[in-house]
Amino acid sequence: MSNSRTPETIRAQEYAAKATASKIKVAVMAPNTKGMMQGTIVDSSCTITSPKSRIANEGGAAQMVVFTEGEQPSHQLAYTANQDEIFTCENVLYSNWSVAIKTIRPAQAAREVHQSAVKILKHPALEDTVTASFGQFISEIKPQHLSPVVLQRSKRMVLDSIGVGLIGSTTDVFDLALQHCQHMYAPDFISSVYGRSNVRLSPTLAAFVNGVATHSMDFDDTWHPATHPSGAVLPAVLALSDMMPASRKPSGLDFLLAFNVGIEIQGRLMRFSNEAHNIPKRFHPPTVVGPMGSAAACARLLSLDSSQCSHALAIAASLAGAPMANAATQSKPLHIGNASRLGLEAALLASRGLEASPLVLDVVAGVAGFSAFYEDYRPQPLVSPHDGHAFLLEEQDMGFKRFPAHLGMHWVADAAASVHKLLVGVGPGKVSPDQVQDILLRVPLSKYINRPFPESEHEARHSFQFNACSALLDGEVTVQSFTPGAISRPELHALLSRVRLEHPHDNPANFNLMYGEVQVTLVGGDILKGRCETFYGHWRNPLTNESLRKKFRNNAEVVLPSAKVEQLIEAVDVLDRLDDCQDLLSQLQ
Amino acid sequence: MNIPQSGGSGEQKVTGGQSEVFIKSTGITESFGAAIHALGASQLTDGVINRSKRMMLDTLGVGLLGTRTAVFNKALKYSQLFTSERSSSIWGRSEITLPPCYAALVNGIAVHSMDFDDTWHPATHPSGAVLPALLALAETLPSRPSGLDLLLAFNVGIEVQGRLMRFSREAYNIPERFHPPSVVGVMGSAAASAKLLGLSPSQCSHALAIAASSAGAPLANAATQTKPFHIGNAARRGLEAARLAQMGLEGNPSMLDMDVGLGVYYNDYSPSTMPDCASGAFRWILEDQDVAFKRIPAHLAMHWLVDAALAARGKLQEAAWHFDLSQIQRVTLRVPPSKYINCPFPTTEHQARHSFQFNACSALLDGKVTVASFDPAQINRPALKELLSKVEVKTPADNHPSFDKMYGEVQIETARGENCTARCNTFYGHWRKPLSQEDLVEKFIVNASSVLCTEGVEGVIDVIENIEKVTECSVLDSYLRMTSNTLEQVYSTGMI
Repeated sequence: MSNSRTPETIRAQEYAAKATASKIKVAVMAPNTKGMMQGTIVDSSCTITSPKSRIANEGGAAQMVVFTEGEQPSHQLAYTANQDEIFTCENVLYSNWSVAIKTIRPAQAAREVHQSAVKILKHPALEDTVTASFGQFISEIKPQHLSPVVLQRSKRMVLDSIGVGLIGSTTDVFDLALQHCQHMYAPDFISSVYGRSNVRLSPTLAAFVNGVATHSMDFDDTWHPATHPSGAVLPAVLALSDMMPASRKPSGLDFLLAFNVGIEIQGRLMRFSNEAHNIPKRFHPPTVVGPMGSAAACARLLSLDSSQCSHALAIAASLAGAPMANAATQSKPLHIGNASRLGLEAALLASRGLEASPLVLDVVAGVAGFSAFYEDYRPQPLVSPHDGHAFLLEEQDMGFKRFPAHLGMHWVADAAASVHKLLVGVGPGKVSPDQVQDILLRVPLSKYINRPFPESEHEARHSFQFNACSALLDGEVTVQSFTPGAISRPELHALLSRVRLEHPHDNPANFNLMYGEVQVTLVGGDILKGRCETFYGHWRNPLTNESLRKKFRNNAEVVLPSAKVEQLIEAVDVLDRLDDCQDLLSQLQ
Repeated sequence: MNIPQSGGSGEQKVTGGQSEVFIKSTGITESFGAAIHALGASQLTDGVINRSKRMMLDTLGVGLLGTRTAVFNKALKYSQLFTSERSSSIWGRSEITLPPCYAALVNGIAVHSMDFDDTWHPATHPSGAVLPALLALAETLPSRPSGLDLLLAFNVGIEVQGRLMRFSREAYNIPERFHPPSVVGVMGSAAASAKLLGLSPSQCSHALAIAASSAGAPLANAATQTKPFHIGNAARRGLEAARLAQMGLEGNPSMLDMDVGLGVYYNDYSPSTMPDCASGAFRWILEDQDVAFKRIPAHLAMHWLVDAALAARGKLQEAAWHFDLSQIQRVTLRVPPSKYINCPFPTTEHQARHSFQFNACSALLDGKVTVASFDPAQINRPALKELLSKVEVKTPADNHPSFDKMYGEVQIETARGENCTARCNTFYGHWRKPLSQEDLVEKFIVNASSVLCTEGVEGVIDVIENIEKVTECSVLDSYLRMTSNTLEQVYSTGMI
C-alpha cells in the first residue's frame, strides 16, 4: 500500500502536514490480505515510508494512528466516548511511543481528527467527554482569545442583527409576541425591547420578543452550515446585560466574547452532522443549535463554572428542536425568539444548580441526547482555549442578506435581476408579462422554499418563484416587495403562472455550493439567461462595511431618529473598547 | 401527488399550490382542530369520567408530595422572577402565586419530580402535562369554568395524546430518542387549554401547530433533574401555544399531516384523522385503554422488578429458616432491553428511580420500596452497594421493551446453593390489574398529607369525587393551598 492514495492516506497526509509538533507521528492502518492491520507511517513531508508495524484488528476498517512520544496512556483510552469510534491503546509498538487509533470515517475533516485524537491522548480520564469539553471551553475562554478578524466579523453581525431587529419591531408577528408578553405578565422594568422606548420586560421575555423581531422578516444573517446564528444569541446577551447591576455590567469586550461563544458553539454543533451542511429537511436548525448557542453565551456572561456550563447546554437540549413544517408561517420567527429565551432560561437554571445529563452531546446507544436531532451525528470534543483553539468565524464568514427573504432567494433574485437589465436596461422600468412566454428556474431541490403561488408574506419569503418574478418585474427585491399590495399584483401573478422549476444534479441544496439560474423565453422565441454563482452578501462576496451600514441605516431609521442610528453604529464600532457595555445598551433604550 | 426526491435535468412540474408539494396526507390536523372544538360534556361516558377522575386525584396527590423536592424548589425560585396581574395558585403553597404559564411549569414539575405520576400505553405520562395547565388557566379566566368544563378539557388533552401516540408503531415501545411527554404532552396541554378557552376549530389546529414547535426533548435527560422539567414545560408551553393561537398567531395548518411536521419526532410516522365526534364513530381511547398508577416513585418498569424481587425474597425466606442476605451470591434480573433504565450503580435519586438494579436490591434488602427508599442516605448504604455488586442483568429475547408485554424476573442464588426465581407479569397498579379505589385514595392521602392539612386533603378528595357537579372548578385551588401549619413553619424558616 506504499503508494496508494486512498482517502484515508490523503487525510492522514493532510493531518501529518499540520501536525508540526515533532512529538506526533501519523500512520494509516489498513487490513492486508491476511486480515491483519498493516501500518504505514506518513511523515510531514507527505511521503509514505515503508510499513513499520502491524496491529491486529477485528473490524478491518482503515484507521489512522497517532503516535505520541513520551506520554504513558492508560488503558482508559479504550473508553468509548463515541460508540462508533473506538480508541484503543498499544504500548508495545515502540518503547517510547503511545498510540491512539482512530477508525477513519470518510466524512471527517483532518483537523478535527487531529484535535480529538491528540486530546484523547492527553486526557484519557473518563470525564473527558465531548459534553465536558464544551463546558470547559465556555467556562475558560477569555477575551484575549478573540482575534482581530473574529472581533471585526462579530461586530458586523451585532450591527446587522440590531438593524434587522429594529425594522422587525414594526411587523405583525412582533406585535403579537409583545402583546402576549404584556398580556400574560406584569410589567417588569428590566430589559429593553427593540423599537419600544417605553416598554421593558423580564429578561427572558425581552430575549423572546427581540428574537422574534430579528427573524420576523427572515432578514437576519445566515451561516454555513445553514443556521441563523445571531438572532438566537444577541437578544439573550442584551437582555442579560440589562439585568446585571450597574456596578457589574460586562465590558464591551466581555459582551463580544459571550456573543462569540454563542456563535462558536452553534458552529461546532452544526459540524456534528454532514446532513446539516445542506438546507434542512426535518428540524429548523436555529431551534436545534440556537438554544444551545444562547445558553452558552449566557453561561459565559454569567461566568458559570465548567460543570454548570455543561448543564446549561444539557438543559437547553431539552428545549431544542422544532419541525420545519412551521417554516413560512408566523411561528417561524418564534423559533428564534424561543431559542434566545430558552437558552437564557437554561443558563439561569444552571446557575441555580439545576442538573441535566453530563453526556448530552456524546453518543450513548439506546439513549439519545443531542443526537436525537440528527441522522448522522458524530460529535467531536472542543479544543481547550489553552491548546490553540481557533474560532470558526475566523475561517467561515457570515452571509448577510440584502433583502428580507430566505437566503436561497438571493441567488435567483440576482439572476432574474440581470435578465431584467437585459430587457429594460439599467434604471427604472418594468418587464411586461406579455413579453414573457416561459420562465425556467434552475435551483436546488428544497421543498420548503418551492412555493408556486405564495399567499402570505411569510410564504413569499420562502418562494423561489416569487423572488425570481419580483426581481424580473422590478429589477430588484426589497422590503416593499413583501407588502400585501406588492404580493397581490396581477402582473406578478401573470409571471408566476409562467414559471417552471428544474433541479439540476450539479445544483445541490447547500448554501456553499448552490447557484441560481433564470432562463426567460420571450414570446418571440428569444431566450435570455441570467445566472448567479455568488450573490453580493454571500460569505464569498461579503458586503462592504459601507453596504452593511447602509442596510443598517435603512432598517434602523424606520424606528429610530438618525442621530440615534449614528450613535448605535459608533457604539458597535468601538464595542471591544467600551469599559461598560451600558454605552451600547443605553442606545437601545 | 408525489414529487420525486432526486433532482433531474428534466423539468419538475409543480401543478398545484404548496399543499401538494408538502403534505403527506390531508385533513388530519383539521380533524383534530374540529374535534377539540366540538367535543361536548355529554359525550363523556361513565367509564371515562370515572377513569379520568382517578387520574386527576392521583396527579394532585403526587404533585403535592412533589412540592417537597429540590427540583421543584429550584423551578419555583426561578419562576418567581415573573409576575402577572392575574395569577395562579401553586399547589401546597398558601402564599405564592405565579403567572399562569409558570404556575403550570412548577406544578407540572411537582407532578413528575419523583416519577410517581401515571403512565399510559403507548408509553407516556399523560396527566402531568394537562392538569397543571388547566388549573392554572381556569383560575385566571373571567368565565369561571365549572368542574364539568375542567373534566371535559382534561379528557380532550388526554385523548389527543393517546391519538398522537398511535401515529407510530415505535411509540408502543419504551422510547430511545425523545421523551414522549415532551412530544405528545405539549400537544395535549395545547389541546386541553384550547378547549377550556373555547377556541374555534381553526384556532385549535393552530394551537397544535404552534405547540409542535415546542415539542421534543432528548431522552438523555431522563434520570436527571431536568426530566421533571419535560412535564412542566409541556404544561407551560402547551398553554402558551393555546394563548398565542387565541391572539391570532398561526402555524402550519397541516402540522400533523406531514413528515416534516410532527413526523420529525418519529421514524415511522403514520397519522390518521380524528373521527367526527358528532357521528357514532368517536370513542374515547381512555375507554379502552386504562392508565397505570404507580405504587412507588420510580419509572414504571421498576414495578415489575420490585414485585418479582419481593416474591423471590419471600420464597427464600420460606425455604431457609435463617435467611441471611449476606449469603446471596448472585442476583440475576431478567428485564427488557432499555438502556436508560439500566443503571448499575446510581448515585442520585433521579438515577435510582431509573435503575432496575437499585429497585430490585432495595426490595430484597428492605422487603419494600417506598418514597423513603430514594433518600440519599438510603441510596448510599454500604449493604445496598454490596448487593448491587452481585447483580447481573439479562435481557431475554422474549421480554419486550413495552409496558404492555414486558415482565420482570428475579433469580437469587446463595452461597449455600439455594436458587429461587420469581417472576411478575402484571404488577398491582398496572392497567390489567388496576389499583382499587380504596388504595388509590389511600395513596392520595399519604401523598397529600405530607403537605396539606386534613381539611385540604379531604376537600380535594371531595371535589374530585363530585367534579362534574362542581359549579366553579377553582374551589379546588383553595384546598390545594391549605397547607398544614407545621410545614408552613418549616418552609418559612428555610429548613427545607
